[in-house]
Amino acid sequence: MSTFEPVLTSNITKENSHTLDFYQSIGGYSAIKKVLSMSPLEVIDVVKASNLRGRGGAGFPTGLKWSFVPKDSEKPIYLINNADESEPGTFKDRLLMNKAPHQMLEGMIIASYAIGCHTSFIYIRGEFYREYMLLEKVVAEAYENNLLGDNILGSDYSLDVVIHRGAGAYICGEETGLIESLEGKRGWPRIKPPFPAIEGYLQCPTVVNNVETLSCLPHIITRGADWFQSIGPEKGPGPRLFCVSGRVKNPGVFEEPMGIDLKDLIFEKAGGITNDNKLKAVFPGGSSSAILTAAEAIDVKMDFEELAKKKTMLGSAGVIVMDETVDMVHACLNIARFYAHESCGQCTPCREGTTWLVKMLTRMVKGRGTLKDINMLFEITDNIGGLIDFSKGSYGKTICPFGEAVAWPIRSFVEKFKDEFIKYLPQEKVAA
Amino acid sequence: MPLLKIDSLEIEVEKGTTVLQAAMVNGIEIPYYCYHPALEIVGSCRMCLVEVEGMPKLQVSCNTFVGEAPPERKIEGKYDMVVNTHNDLVIQERKNVLEFLLLNHPLDCPVCDQAGECYLQDYSFKFGNAHSRFDEDKRVRPNEYLGSQIVINHNRCILCSRCIRFTREISGTSELFVEARGNKSKIAALEDKPLDNLLAGNVADICPVGALLSTDYIHKNRIWNLKKQPSVCQDCSVGCNVDVFYQKDKILRLTPRENHDVNGYFMCDIGRYGFHRFEDLDRITTPMARSNGSFSAVSWDEAIRKTADKLGDEGAKIAGIVSPFHTNETNFMLGQIINGPTGTLPQMNDEEIIYQSGFRISNDRSPNRRGMSDVCPALLEDLVSEIDNQDVRMIYVLDDGIDREIDDVWKKILAKMDFVVVQTYAMTTLAQSANIILPGPAPYEREGTITNDGGRVQWLRPSLPMKGESRADWEILMMVMKALDKDAQDFTDIGQVMKDMGEKFPAYDGLSFFRLGPHGMSLNGRANG
Amino acid sequence: MSNKDIHEDSFQYTDSDKVEKIFSQYPDKRSATLPLLHLAQTQGGYITSAIINTVAKLTEIHPAEVMDCVSFYTMFYSRQQGTYKLQVCQTLSCSLNGADDIVDHITQKYGTQPGETTSDGKFTLLKVECLGSCGTAPVIQINDDYHEGLSIKELDILLDSIP
Repeated sequence: MSTFEPVLTSNITKENSHTLDFYQSIGGYSAIKKVLSMSPLEVIDVVKASNLRGRGGAGFPTGLKWSFVPKDSEKPIYLINNADESEPGTFKDRLLMNKAPHQMLEGMIIASYAIGCHTSFIYIRGEFYREYMLLEKVVAEAYENNLLGDNILGSDYSLDVVIHRGAGAYICGEETGLIESLEGKRGWPRIKPPFPAIEGYLQCPTVVNNVETLSCLPHIITRGADWFQSIGPEKGPGPRLFCVSGRVKNPGVFEEPMGIDLKDLIFEKAGGITNDNKLKAVFPGGSSSAILTAAEAIDVKMDFEELAKKKTMLGSAGVIVMDETVDMVHACLNIARFYAHESCGQCTPCREGTTWLVKMLTRMVKGRGTLKDINMLFEITDNIGGLIDFSKGSYGKTICPFGEAVAWPIRSFVEKFKDEFIKYLPQEKVAA
Repeated sequence: MPLLKIDSLEIEVEKGTTVLQAAMVNGIEIPYYCYHPALEIVGSCRMCLVEVEGMPKLQVSCNTFVGEAPPERKIEGKYDMVVNTHNDLVIQERKNVLEFLLLNHPLDCPVCDQAGECYLQDYSFKFGNAHSRFDEDKRVRPNEYLGSQIVINHNRCILCSRCIRFTREISGTSELFVEARGNKSKIAALEDKPLDNLLAGNVADICPVGALLSTDYIHKNRIWNLKKQPSVCQDCSVGCNVDVFYQKDKILRLTPRENHDVNGYFMCDIGRYGFHRFEDLDRITTPMARSNGSFSAVSWDEAIRKTADKLGDEGAKIAGIVSPFHTNETNFMLGQIINGPTGTLPQMNDEEIIYQSGFRISNDRSPNRRGMSDVCPALLEDLVSEIDNQDVRMIYVLDDGIDREIDDVWKKILAKMDFVVVQTYAMTTLAQSANIILPGPAPYEREGTITNDGGRVQWLRPSLPMKGESRADWEILMMVMKALDKDAQDFTDIGQVMKDMGEKFPAYDGLSFFRLGPHGMSLNGRANG
Repeated sequence: MSNKDIHEDSFQYTDSDKVEKIFSQYPDKRSATLPLLHLAQTQGGYITSAIINTVAKLTEIHPAEVMDCVSFYTMFYSRQQGTYKLQVCQTLSCSLNGADDIVDHITQKYGTQPGETTSDGKFTLLKVECLGSCGTAPVIQINDDYHEGLSIKELDILLDSIP
């Protein structure tokens, strides 16, 4: 692992890394030349062989996702680049858009070609206004150089790219919520089936891929599936952008092979804990993952399987570090409030349960909790998102995975730091 | 066909049937809120979760489609799908969802109009918890008007979105929307674009809880005090099937009754609130005779004798006014009595409205024009000339109770008449020109058949008792007929009238209330049908 | 019902080329809703019912459907905001790195509670959820721009430099 060279971020510190000139100077857009000489099926096969799994959070195999798109579709096929980066603790896509936008765009062209898409969207979160402005330029540059538009690089293949701004809604990062939003509606996730690959945007076959996922594609095409597969664990290989934030000295985005030790991320890459305090707990994969205690965190590898064994997940690889100064009840309330604010309101358990959690935790923080409340927190979270049992899959209870995304972290706080919750109870109630 | 096992039941179902549909058809109750057979599936209430074997989590049965499993994936070697609708997991999950739905609910059943027909009540009783574990402050919002006749009680709303989907998919008017998101979500309409389309009342019907209320019925009564009579709407020629809810001699509300050959699940507000126009009418409840310019009550015997005396004059020509507001049987009977020209009152026309889903309000706001024309085929357009030609001096009018102004045509007709019989239930201007008034039932007191503009004969059942001494229309006509001709057939019930009508008009042959049943029968394909 | 002032004048886009360009990018009209709303809000400051009606007309949907969409998203405002919207991220990584102090500081500095606008109409203080820049916490977004990793002192310098 010491030999690992960054792939996606190798050039982000270079001046003007966002420009077409720069990107071409390092061999950029050579992958699409190669792709245009392949058949779409061959491209899908390469990506399947690479074992690339989605970088947005769910970790679904990218090639497999593409293969669900009907081959004989009479309807237009759409690719949507999910740039609605909103998972707390995650800030890698913004970096890629700012520093390596052409890499992402090349990935979009490859993916679009593979699935037979001729109009592709970048759904960028509304708050990323500067990134949106930059992407407008980047896309225009690509059009001027025949990398987009009709007959790309003289081939038969044509592709338009449209940049679409969100308007402030975490749930639009969920692919069907995103599709609804793109259609000009509120971002209420859709019930599945039908799946987007069959009926997505405007009822047409649609693939939604994350910025980082797409950014991997030029490299997979150029360097081959075997190369990609050789990085990190077999079941979920490749380079990964790990975001480390919270109580660390040197927060940031670190590109490492999948499977890096979480300990190394925190203590080496991110420089250790602020003020050399003691580590207390960590979100390994964004705020939707269950937290790990310090003891668990120093002994886990950052890959899909290893984290699943610890009953949490790699998610968006957004590591949020909490040290001994962090009040876990307040932190739990902070996360609960986030989810209550972002719940779309469609499904009963999530709409009602998230606010119930906030009301109850707020009461507890004010010193008006009871022992019963602590048990209730378990029950409410289970009723919103279900128990985590990775041997049987998850017991999600809502249309989209938001329910689990609330339940798992909140439950893990109470489960792993119950003492701190008890401390908030009025003394007479604890004694009773 | 796929083989589905639900609980202990094995059933073959059409490919693509949902588990919920399969369960319903086979008498297995799966509770649900957001699902409605006429609306798009959203699967958001989470109430209809069931366990599907082989699936890692519970599935919403409304969106779980039964398909053919490949041989190697058949369960127990034969089932394409195995579903449990009441194992512990499912039972517990229903409790959980109900608990969430009731967190902010005011539990104000004692004053709620939905009480007694509320799915929150019913499911809580059957599947829910006996007590609440919610110790926080409830979310409280004031009631709001969504339209002039629809009020929303936000505190009872479970955000199933049926009402919104109704306005988008059925009426196509889209006035309703969800405002805000998450726990702040609420159903709303824009202030300057309220829910005031003619299908608006349906949202109160499809609301599974007491959130959407029709101002017309609000706090009027308790549902368990009301009797329900299946009937047919009287306000246009579509003939929507309805349930009439009444107490003693008063209708409290009308709701649509499902009939896929007519109105689907819905009705319009013209029909829904139409019964009110019979409420404040100047009702006639005894036979009346006019002498010296004023009416006095007379006995039935006297009224019928006076009528027959005049109509029975040797060689007298009697004109008849049949009515598209009356039943086939009444119109038929009058047709049998008169020997002169037949006409009808001016048509009550209005705008035809066809909604996005195809739901239609006919421009003809009478319920039985088709049937009237079927059983009175000699209807004249130009009645005046024929009255002149035949020198008609007597007329028998089936009045529709609508108080029209008497136009010039009618003035001419009435001026010619020596004797006018009006069979009616209200003192209309026309009735005032009568010599004899014979009191019949108002529309929701009537019994008989009517034929809608699509040729479907439907059973109009009486909901309210007839008022005072008034008698059934067919009975009145039979009395007149018998007084005119002692040998005339003696009908003892309306079924015999129907039989006779069928003999004379083969399209109506073999009709009976039994055969019509709750959903009527199409004349299409029948003789003269 | 929405408490919108329904008597506002009608709304017209000043830049019809932009409107045309937006429509040219989508296969259907309704997909243009969000970009049209963004454009209108840039022009009008917040989403008025006149804007809703105009967008509804252009996208050929009912104004209630536009409102359904508008009210879902936090970036569309239903009333006038200050010239500068001070949007302080309050989600965990920012909260662990002083976001609460920033809110308190601004509250004291301008006498505004979160959600309020200063009496001169210059600033609106808003608490927002994760802005996706956790590595540079605490983050404050002022209108379109992120300002990252600011100490209270740096924040003061920044705010005081706003004309």
